[in-house]
Amino acid sequence: MIEQLEKPFSEDDSLAVLNRYVRDWFSRNFEELTPPQRFSFKLISQGSNTLITAPTGSGKTMSGFLSIISRLFDYSLEGRLEERVYCVYISPLRSLNNDIFRNLTRPLDEIYGEIVKEKGVEVIKNNIQKVSIGVRTGDTTQQERRQQLAHPPNILVTTPESLAIMINSKRFVEHLKGMEFVLIDELHELAGNKRGVHLSLSIERLEEMIGRPVTRIGLGATLYPLDEAARFLVGTKDGRERDCKMVDASWQKKLDVTASSPVKDLIYTDGDAIEESLYKRIDSTIRANRTTLVFTNTRSGTERVIFNLKKRFGYGEEIAAHHSSLSRESRMEVEDLLKKGSLKCAVTSTSLELGVDIGSIDEVIQLGSPKSVTRAIQRIGRAGHSYKETAKGLVIALDRDDLVECAVMLDAARKRHLDSFSVPKNALDVLAQHIIGMSLTQKWDVDKAFEVVRRAYPYNTLDRHDFNALIEYLAGNYVGLESRRVYGKIWYDEKERTFGKRGALAQAIYMLNLGTIPDEVAVGVFKDKKWVGNIEEEFLARLKPGDIFTLGGRLYRFEYSKGMKCYVGDAKTSEPTIPPWYSEQLPLSFELANEIGEFRSRLSAALGKERGRAKRGGANDKAFALLDDMPVDANAKAAIRDYFTEQLSYAGVVPDNRLMLVEETQDLEKGTTLLVFHSLYGRRVNDALSRAFAIEIGETLDADVGMVVSDNGFVLDLGENALTKRQLEAAMDGLASANIATMLRHNIRKTEMMKRRFRHVAARGFMILRNYKGYKISVGKQQLNSQLLLKAVEEMDQNFPILKETYREILNDVLDLPRAQEVLAMIRKKEIRYRFIRTDVPSPFSHKMITFGHADVIMMKSRHQYLQRLHKSVMEQIGG
Amino acid sequence: MILNDEVELVEGEPIAYIRPLKALVMADLHLGYEAAMAKRGMLLPHANLKSILSSIENASSVREVTTLIVNGDIKNDFSTVGQAESNELYDFCSRANALGMGLVLIKGNHDNFIERYREAFRFEVHRQEARIGDFLFFHGEEMPGSLGKLMVMGHEHPAIGIYDAAGRLEKLKCFLYGRYKGGNLLVLPAMNYFSSGTAVNIEPKGSLLSPLLRNAGVESMEAIALGYGSTLAFGKVRELRRIAAARHAGRRG
Repeated sequence: MIEQLEKPFSEDDSLAVLNRYVRDWFSRNFEELTPPQRFSFKLISQGSNTLITAPTGSGKTMSGFLSIISRLFDYSLEGRLEERVYCVYISPLRSLNNDIFRNLTRPLDEIYGEIVKEKGVEVIKNNIQKVSIGVRTGDTTQQERRQQLAHPPNILVTTPESLAIMINSKRFVEHLKGMEFVLIDELHELAGNKRGVHLSLSIERLEEMIGRPVTRIGLGATLYPLDEAARFLVGTKDGRERDCKMVDASWQKKLDVTASSPVKDLIYTDGDAIEESLYKRIDSTIRANRTTLVFTNTRSGTERVIFNLKKRFGYGEEIAAHHSSLSRESRMEVEDLLKKGSLKCAVTSTSLELGVDIGSIDEVIQLGSPKSVTRAIQRIGRAGHSYKETAKGLVIALDRDDLVECAVMLDAARKRHLDSFSVPKNALDVLAQHIIGMSLTQKWDVDKAFEVVRRAYPYNTLDRHDFNALIEYLAGNYVGLESRRVYGKIWYDEKERTFGKRGALAQAIYMLNLGTIPDEVAVGVFKDKKWVGNIEEEFLARLKPGDIFTLGGRLYRFEYSKGMKCYVGDAKTSEPTIPPWYSEQLPLSFELANEIGEFRSRLSAALGKERGRAKRGGANDKAFALLDDMPVDANAKAAIRDYFTEQLSYAGVVPDNRLMLVEETQDLEKGTTLLVFHSLYGRRVNDALSRAFAIEIGETLDADVGMVVSDNGFVLDLGENALTKRQLEAAMDGLASANIATMLRHNIRKTEMMKRRFRHVAARGFMILRNYKGYKISVGKQQLNSQLLLKAVEEMDQNFPILKETYREILNDVLDLPRAQEVLAMIRKKEIRYRFIRTDVPSPFSHKMITFGHADVIMMKSRHQYLQRLHKSVMEQIGG
Repeated sequence: MILNDEVELVEGEPIAYIRPLKALVMADLHLGYEAAMAKRGMLLPHANLKSILSSIENASSVREVTTLIVNGDIKNDFSTVGQAESNELYDFCSRANALGMGLVLIKGNHDNFIERYREAFRFEVHRQEARIGDFLFFHGEEMPGSLGKLMVMGHEHPAIGIYDAAGRLEKLKCFLYGRYKGGNLLVLPAMNYFSSGTAVNIEPKGSLLSPLLRNAGVESMEAIALGYGSTLAFGKVRELRRIAAARHAGRRG
């Protein structure tokens, strides 16, 4: 049973479970137990599966480890601590692993030191061993690995990928046979993606090999829904959920947050003036604090902020960048400097979001919306290191939609309305890898293997047919008998219903190709036959000849690409046509979009009442009163109020999450008809809805319909055509009862995304090996037409596992088909209403959607002018 | 599509029909391709041979065909003739024989050791090029030794690249047709199912594989593309290059 504990144990009860030496050490070093520790010491010592959510700096790691350390010193004092692994600690980050190693080495040394001091020569006589700890990641050298195989550490600190490799080594598994605890840190970074899915299977396989249950401990800073995270952590046995105790200690850290606009008027203030004001604001915050951490949403933004701070205010070495494109050494240097307190300010994109120890931060500045409440809490939670302190955060937005979004987000953060995560279910590519892995260590009965796989929560609803299809595929049964020797990755005996390892090289091939992170295929960029840098494959897919893009601070003109090489020339203009963050932008979450919807409806109601009262000569304070309760500064308050007033005066309606506004208008530059859907369900849902509407309306009009998806809705470009109200109603009715899953499958079949994702899934599912007998390949390099490859696979079998998984991944993980279906069902049931309006000039709330689907706050000048033009046209009409 | 009195391009197929010779001509089959890829760790479904055989049947059903000319690269592996290759070669040759076609093979750069099978599979092998009547067939990896009224080559795997409204590049296999030193030159697209080809209107001339095309002025050749079951003249390569390059100009930055 999964249950949440509300009442902590007393301090005495908690400490009583600890070994004397461990307890003394703890009391010497800490004044009191932190909230998560009041639950965890006792729970873990009882061997309960335990899930703890608590903010960074709340002694979370110690809460997970201390009972384990205590247990190990018990063994040690009894003279029975052996040279084998008792506890496996897994975190998604290597840097976090190194931190944990450092942070545990000291207590282990000190506790053992006390024991030695007290026991003296008895230590040798009674074989009282020191509890050892070791790290094993991709960075671990061969020599260290050999050392670990000879002398395994008692506590093994590792990553999901390294664990997956270890469990396929028979010799290493021997050392794991006595394992009692598995501890997964930063669970929120794993539970919602394929890395976590991969890990969940590794743990079930490991437990099966060990032959008895292991105590599972999960730690996370922000986990919602908590019970879903618990299910992910513990999985099932014999069709029933394993027991788990959940502890929510995440309410402890207070937030002091403000959404801010650098200027009063975000529309007509000159771009340079906005920037000026923005950087002044950052500068004064840095000066007011000892240490400030600045988050941008993109790597390019990080560089730009550093550059501007240095140029404008003469900063030097006391500010530094930290992002994933930098070398490991320079990142670690920045982390060290932060810890020592010798940096005034670090600017980062995502790389400092997780629990890497960076010492004490006074204030966090976030530039632009981080797009999810959870991420906002995580980032701002880096400020005020101890859990008792208040985390201070400033979020600066540079356009009005962003401002509303940030205000609502911070309000939700204060109320702890988190975004939910969802676990990818029944991912066939990850499972394919594990089936091969399983075959390496033993011969398997198919039914037994199926049963073990279904214990992992991401597979507890796995369909037997899908499992069988995978076995058939891996056994090479999709090709003729004579080629099976080449294609087959496992052998499968249909009569005996068993499978096992095929070929002497299977082990080596498996180890080289294992993992879920797709090869970020780097495309070399060449100018005059000289290499100038790399871009991502995804970025290349967006480029057309003549496009201008930035690379390493310089502008290039795209000419053509061949295979994985991209050829460029000099750019003669000064503005890029494709922004560099194009593939980096984060999508707005479903929950936050809904909160924005709620806020819109509240504020527009207040404004409506105000107007009524103004006519009767009453006071105008409703809307301001509402905004007073929001975490916004004075500039932001004025800007938000103006924004809503303009929308209401011009369009007569403010769309929200219960009212979808469909606005037929025109593109002021091209003169084409635009259909703007104000749809507040998050970008992934909008991505699905926009495709469905584009297909439906395209069929109605018998024309091609262009589309742009954004966070607050989507825009369909109807060209010369127009849509009548009746046609829209027919399309709404049609979609509300249509099978949009089939429609979307058909639609995405032809996209670049399908080709790219298919290649990733094919690589993960070992259909295309990235490393094979000395070949290092990608389909792209082979100049293979993925369109034709897809067609060939479809002709072979429409339900080929790799194909099936590609569709599942796109529809459920990239788009949000389930929620898009929910929204359509709500439209059918009239729980969501829609209204059709026509405007000569796009209404204010559609401006951002029209000017650009994606936007970055750091680079916005070129878009600004068009926005001003749109706004001016609106204001002329409402006489503002 | 009728190219001239003597040459017809089979609708929707990468095959030319030479009327005076009663011959189908094709190039770059790369039989054994999937097995060769499997050796490199890629599982490709078997699609190549099947699609080639169906193309041949489609082309010969309404035409009188006595000869099948393979203009180079009938197989894929440079270093040997693999098991899968020889199986596919066998299937290919026996089907052609069953359809009453004699086989003529002009060796391509992938066709090492093909002579071993000459007797068993009953085909004629030409090392560099073959002159049949007024027609000159050569693979294209090297310059031809002579000229002809019509010169037919393969090797290049030509295609054209077209950007659609969403900015997506679509590649279509194509024939190239133009003049060369007093005769006509026809470049065949690849028969291989998986080959997407080289977009001759996007990549610079210098990057073309065939020495003859690098010299011959590919810009003034006509591109005749195939796809979606039909064969259509798309105009000169020069024009297509201009369109691809100008594609971006029409949209807002």
